[in-house]
Amino acid sequence: MLTLRRNRKNETGNSASLSGKDTDSETKRRGASQWAVAWRRFKKHKSGLFGLGMIVVLLIVAIFNTVIAPYPARPAPDALKPLYDGEAAQAPSWKHPFGTTRMGLDVFSEIVHGSVYTIYVAVAATLITTVLTVAVGITAGYFGRYIDELLMRITEIFLVFPSLLLILVFARIFQLGNAEPFYSFLGINIPIGLTMIILIVSIFAWAGNARVVRGEVLRLKETEFIQAEKSLGASSWWIMLKHVFPNVLPQIIVLATLSMASAVLVEAAVSFLGFGDPNTYTWGRLMEESYSDMSTTWWSEVFPGLAVFLTVLAFNLFGDGIADALNPRLRE
Amino acid sequence: MNLLEISNLKTHFFTEAGVVKAVDDVSFNVEKGCTLGLVGESGSGKSVTAQSVLRIVPKPGRIVDGKILFDGEDLVQKKDGEMQRYRGKRISLIFQDPTSSLNPLFTIGNQLSDIVIQHDKVKKDAAIETVIKTLKLTRLPDPEEAIRRYPHQFSGGMKQRICIARALLLNPQLLFADEPTTSLDVTIQAQIISLLKDLQKDIGMTLVMITHDMGVVAEMCKCVVVLYAGHVMEIGPIETIFEAPHPYTAALLKAVPRLDQTRKLISIPGNIPNLITPPTGCRFHPRCEYAVALCKEKKPPLEDVGGDHFISCHRWRELRRGA
Repeated sequence: MLTLRRNRKNETGNSASLSGKDTDSETKRRGASQWAVAWRRFKKHKSGLFGLGMIVVLLIVAIFNTVIAPYPARPAPDALKPLYDGEAAQAPSWKHPFGTTRMGLDVFSEIVHGSVYTIYVAVAATLITTVLTVAVGITAGYFGRYIDELLMRITEIFLVFPSLLLILVFARIFQLGNAEPFYSFLGINIPIGLTMIILIVSIFAWAGNARVVRGEVLRLKETEFIQAEKSLGASSWWIMLKHVFPNVLPQIIVLATLSMASAVLVEAAVSFLGFGDPNTYTWGRLMEESYSDMSTTWWSEVFPGLAVFLTVLAFNLFGDGIADALNPRLRE
Repeated sequence: MNLLEISNLKTHFFTEAGVVKAVDDVSFNVEKGCTLGLVGESGSGKSVTAQSVLRIVPKPGRIVDGKILFDGEDLVQKKDGEMQRYRGKRISLIFQDPTSSLNPLFTIGNQLSDIVIQHDKVKKDAAIETVIKTLKLTRLPDPEEAIRRYPHQFSGGMKQRICIARALLLNPQLLFADEPTTSLDVTIQAQIISLLKDLQKDIGMTLVMITHDMGVVAEMCKCVVVLYAGHVMEIGPIETIFEAPHPYTAALLKAVPRLDQTRKLISIPGNIPNLITPPTGCRFHPRCEYAVALCKEKKPPLEDVGGDHFISCHRWRELRRGA
């Protein structure tokens, strides 16, 4: 998410400077940096823009969750107000747009509150995954030889094991000793159990991406401009930071956006299977709580599922849009 | 005085298929302030020789043996950190394809000034000034504007001027030009050649032209080194090379297309040998029309034939008499 945000800041920054330059075609041509070109192309990508729009909606919902949701989040006692009002297990209506659960929770409110965790999972997992991806991919690709051999063998270990199974095992192991459910940081309550799951999910998510980045670095290493930099006395670190990294950055951004989608999906799966953090009510958790009521109160199962589906779809569409916009081989 | 003395240089590539002896026992000197032509077919070891001098031979290749004396110091013995101060600053290299040798993501000003900042530890403004000054040297039109542009906004010839400027940024004493005109069209080629010629004259720089174009050699170089399959075939001043050459040089010269003669293009029969298992003796013998049994058995020494002219051929005496 950090990469996403930074990218979006870049895009808006460039678009602002572009519109300012529109009057002067000569200067506009000069400012045709990669980011400006990418943003121009992304603006033409309909499904990508649609994905971005859905992500923006999700962000708004998450930020203003207390305002949007008619009922407070658990464990506040008012979360069960529909139950006390005799409105448990009700079908969608104007008062309860997504209906209420058998326990008497307003499904719409629960989904709105759960969106915060979804954003947290997407951002945090992607951040960790991307750091690991970049570190392993670039180091292996650039230094090659023994370092490459070692890192790629480690990567393969992560690729060959059935990751969901191991995630579940580790989730159970690390969920046991949580004395405190939340850790307060700058006034924000961070759920420790969910953070653990994010860590575990991330550790099993970077391997495929690292291979892609490594391949890209290997390709770049053979290009003449890297050779030229070397012949001009640049050190390995300089070449890696100034020349290799910026050239694989588009690739990394695309992988990061797509890994947001998979992080949300895997977390939902872990929670749905009952291995999630017992103190947080993520969308997967909502589905787990009411899957036995599918035949009676189907809405308490379908709407959280739809929320997961649309979020994953949004990240994927957005990621595809970015991939097309940043792909130099698809110049218009 | 010699600026560069290469002796018995061996650069091999340790591939899975075997050891590729790309440069095998190459020796020659480059006189200060003079232009030397390094000539040979593709795969004869020209580029690898230049890469060896800069010590940027790509893996799995490495310098196995030999000495590279630059200004009296052996570059082969230098640590990589020490070499970084030579690269760009004292020895520089111009690449074949200007399109792919500039980073597409940065403006010309940014990527060229970075080099000056890195080496000379100067402020950005001073570095930009150096860049503009050097771009002017290469006769790039409107350098003040050019530094704000990206590589893809220039034509091939302009990019090569930028690449030449980049190589000259730090006033190197020795410049390798690795087929600098191969990827350009003919009119631009002529411009780049005359630019390099003028620059060499004006700055008094030592230039090594790596090329397979005998026309370029005739126009620019004072002396020539002819390489074949990693071996030196002939070294000599330009006049003698064109007059009484080695059989391989003669074949190369014959293969140059000429406008004043209507005839079929002549090529050297056969292909450049496999460098994992190179031919025994003289490496050119399988393709040489004058080859005898001795050529197959013994590698001919590089013999001084007088007048700074060296030939590696068993039969040079007979051939010269015949010519």
